[in-house]
Amino acid sequence: MITNLTISLEDAKTAVSAALAAAKPDDGPIAVCVTNENGDPAYLVRQDGASATDVRNAERKAYTAAFIGRDTSAYRLQIAHDGRTVADWSDAMITTLHGGWTLRRGSQVIGGIGVAGSGGEDRDERLALAGAEAAAQLAVDAWRAQRKPRP
Amino acid sequence: MFTRKSLGLDDAQTALDAILGALSATDSPIALAVADEHGVPVLCLRQDGTPPRMLRRARAKAYTAANLGMDTVVFRDTAVKAASRTLEDWGDPMITALQGGLTIRSGGEVVGGIALSGNPTPRDQALARIGLDAMGITS
Repeated sequence: MITNLTISLEDAKTAVSAALAAAKPDDGPIAVCVTNENGDPAYLVRQDGASATDVRNAERKAYTAAFIGRDTSAYRLQIAHDGRTVADWSDAMITTLHGGWTLRRGSQVIGGIGVAGSGGEDRDERLALAGAEAAAQLAVDAWRAQRKPRP
Repeated sequence: MFTRKSLGLDDAQTALDAILGALSATDSPIALAVADEHGVPVLCLRQDGTPPRMLRRARAKAYTAANLGMDTVVFRDTAVKAASRTLEDWGDPMITALQGGLTIRSGGEVVGGIALSGNPTPRDQALARIGLDAMGITS
């Protein structure tokens, strides 16, 4: 038997809240999605005014980051370098739109976060990063909590 | 030009809080989907331990309730069963006849759908009703 780490709903909510909190008034209304390591959504939020496309792309970005195990912007560079296209993966959920970050514990993928709707791909990416950082901070906190004090 | 009412994130979060508060120890972990009047998600949530297929189902139920303007159980009984039709007749893979999706109306207008999965479907619907009532939107 093996055990796999996976994201909890509480982690997902923390990440989504952080992404929403990072948004400024001049950002467009966003959709934020957090998935588990398999790309299955755990929490998805659409701010009032975010479009159906934003919902779809937030989910696809999170899915790609989790399932491929690469942040979507890095993934775009990689397949361009390798001379491939997303069609090579035969998966309509895969996207290279910036704004999807892989969530990890150490080297293990535990999920993905995606943001869409802020008004630009790179701004989406920045907002999603705020969510990913909040999720990473949870891992640090958990590690600190279980660390034994020095004798 | 005309305007249409649509469910907002605040409404969805009110429903979510009411449903989470109503869960009992005997309930299985849930998946919840709240959609706008087109059936597009406003808020989706999958509790720890809920299989991913449950959220897929909840989304399909919320989509169906919003898009058809009919609670999924009513759709099942009147449009599918009583009329001896199958789901293929609708030509829409998101349409489902599973109980547990409720249409959200405001002043007679469809503004969204709310649905759960994870428990037996009558319980899914009862929990969705709690969320619907909590939103205080009068049909």
